[in-house]
Amino acid sequence: MLLETKNVSKSFGGIYALRDICFSLREGEVHGLVGENGAGKSTLIKLLTGVYQMEEGSISFGGSPYLPRTPAAARRAGISVIHQDRTLVPTFTAVENAYLGLPYPRKGAFVDWKSMEKKVQAVSQDAGIELDLHMTAARMSPPQRTCLEIVRALMHDCRLLILDEPTASLTERESETLFEIIGRLKSRGTAILYVSHRLDEIFRLTDRVTVLKNGTLVKTLETASATREDLIRLMADHYTAGGLARAKNTGDELLSCSHLKSRDGTVLDASLSLHAGEILGIFGLGGSGRTELLETLYGLRSADGGEIRLMGEVQPRLSPARSLSRGMALISEDRRGKGMIGNLSVRENVSLSALQDVSRRGIVRKKQETQAVHSMTERLQVRMAGQEQRVLELSGGNQQKVVFARTLLTRPRIFLCDEPTQAVDVMTRSEIHRLLRAEADRGCGVLFVSSDLKEVLEVADRVQIMASGRTWEVLENQDLTTRQVLDLCYREARAKVKSANS
Amino acid sequence: MKRVRNLLQAYGTLLALVMIILVFSILRPKSFFTLRNFINISRQISLMVIISIGATMVMSINEFDLSVGTMASLGGVMAAQMAVAGLPLPLCFLLPMLIALVIGWINGWIVARFRVLSFITTLGMSTVLSGLIYRLTGGATVFQNIPRGFSFLGTYKLGEIPLLSLIMVAFVVLFSLIMRHTVLGRRFYAIGGSEETAKVSGINVPLYKNIAFALCALLSCITGMLIASRVGSANTTAGDGYFLSSYAAVFIGCTVSRKGIPNVPGTLVGCAILGILTNGLTMLQMPTYLQDMITGSIIILAVILQKVGRGDAR
Repeated sequence: MLLETKNVSKSFGGIYALRDICFSLREGEVHGLVGENGAGKSTLIKLLTGVYQMEEGSISFGGSPYLPRTPAAARRAGISVIHQDRTLVPTFTAVENAYLGLPYPRKGAFVDWKSMEKKVQAVSQDAGIELDLHMTAARMSPPQRTCLEIVRALMHDCRLLILDEPTASLTERESETLFEIIGRLKSRGTAILYVSHRLDEIFRLTDRVTVLKNGTLVKTLETASATREDLIRLMADHYTAGGLARAKNTGDELLSCSHLKSRDGTVLDASLSLHAGEILGIFGLGGSGRTELLETLYGLRSADGGEIRLMGEVQPRLSPARSLSRGMALISEDRRGKGMIGNLSVRENVSLSALQDVSRRGIVRKKQETQAVHSMTERLQVRMAGQEQRVLELSGGNQQKVVFARTLLTRPRIFLCDEPTQAVDVMTRSEIHRLLRAEADRGCGVLFVSSDLKEVLEVADRVQIMASGRTWEVLENQDLTTRQVLDLCYREARAKVKSANS
Repeated sequence: MKRVRNLLQAYGTLLALVMIILVFSILRPKSFFTLRNFINISRQISLMVIISIGATMVMSINEFDLSVGTMASLGGVMAAQMAVAGLPLPLCFLLPMLIALVIGWINGWIVARFRVLSFITTLGMSTVLSGLIYRLTGGATVFQNIPRGFSFLGTYKLGEIPLLSLIMVAFVVLFSLIMRHTVLGRRFYAIGGSEETAKVSGINVPLYKNIAFALCALLSCITGMLIASRVGSANTTAGDGYFLSSYAAVFIGCTVSRKGIPNVPGTLVGCAILGILTNGLTMLQMPTYLQDMITGSIIILAVILQKVGRGDAR
């Protein structure tokens, strides 16, 4: 065995992200790693590459104990990772990027560029990768950058290469090139850990595949003897949310979009329809464009084609301000960055979007403001020392309540909620669920995005599938299981549509 | 310990101001701690306060305007030349203000539209303005044939109290109110706190950036015109020296607020500390180089104390 982990565990704030992982990887094999959002794939990678330190268990690599303290140490030991978000210096050339973190060869007091070039040239040729050595990373195409990252990994004596969703931003043809390179690396004896949501790639490339679920290792199988259905069954619980309040009756259409496309190409073709009184869940795996879809609907991200209708009216141009004035509000997944202003007080945060309503001729009426803020913090039971406390000092759950309070003060009819219960405590989580249901019952519409499929099934009346920047079928949430939903997300065709069109 | 911290945080800077006054009062009781001297100090800092309020505006949206000094110089030069050319005096002061608003708006527009660093944008603008000043004056101070009325604003006294001090008080009150109690001020602070959140909250971020830069240029221009009015001539670099001290005042001012954000009363305190230091140290006949060293150290100390007080120093 090249790599073996024994009972490895890692927890964050008392909650296990990985538990008792016994994982092994053979010399020279391509090993797939699959699992739902939050199954523990990234945590495992981060343990193997020295980003996190494990708390329990042991790892051996190449027959000797392995405990990297930093990513650099992991690389020196022979384990490199290539992430979906690439880590190259844009203004550096291929040669400079390949040498990042390595000692530069010298000629006297000066850097010996010639020999650096030769080395990079040799490494890339050896792996069968064509690279323009003098091109800066910024000018390279996505697959060229991936190739450069691979070359950089190979600059060390790399015995295990971890690829994390490497085809996420590649077209089908570009992916083919990558697969060829993987084939060559394998024949040279480099082992590869291949992490992907795309099961067809797993079946095509890997020798064995390991399934993670909720931080535990479910099973490792020989790929040749496994089927797609096997993998999905192992990944997902047979979970059905039952006995929860559902929409009593749905009313007019509040929001719809058809063939919506974002300018940056993260949303390719999205169509949906949201009615009064319902909570429409949107579920997709990482990188499916769900966050971007909400931001495009809200006008935070520029649209490039397609049509958005609010209460039946076509919206030619959208901006956050227009959306708010037409009754559509966004709760962003990025609370610290886009939801709240940490160094301002609870009062200033809550009244931010509705200042107009509590001011006259541009002057804020403090009394009205305080009352309005009070009514919301009471309703949501924000725990704070007072309205003047800085939001920064509140707990995560209470911060999120402040964000909701700000949103509710604008009296929206349409809620775009992106991971609204992210990093909040269990109590607040169910309070937020109840709140959204209450708003829906009052005749509002809620778009609910969460990477936690169970939560989506708990909350939503209908679930819309999203994959590769596109929306797919809408499912009534009746006896719907996580397995059914995941099965649709993992459809082979889904991953490919993107490449066929780009 | 925590209580000491909280006290430091809330009142540390004010405490420092009182201490400075105390020390000078003990050392020079007859000349320093007199009503006359305090009126004198209020006049000495009045110009710096007004330009610093401008800097407070742009700092409140988390940007910088490096062109405040040259904008002030330009304001003075324009007003003086218009006065020399025989324009009615009110126009001599109003026209440059309009031009300043436009220049500031351009600064804001470039920063917001192209998302470039305000640091660089306004540095460039500052150079452009210097060139403009040279084009207007040929590098010479404007002092001949300036009508006598031009000096009214800068030199008139109401009894013992200089008009400049009163103008300063008016600006402090006005802009304190704007920053604290108007939608405009609140949006400035929202943008300064988190531009992204401000955007999501429906605030037209570019518009408010334009306004902040325009206000800053306006206040700089007013300062420059008042300098010219006070000395009865317009030096081509009269305002340049105000640039650094105005930002020092704003930084010290941030330490007065519990949130550590720029605020007008704080800026006044900052100017007062700097002004009183200069005044007192001069009375002690401290050589200029020592004055500079002491003043600089106090600025640095104020910022460190603020960090320690807030508990976010490493």
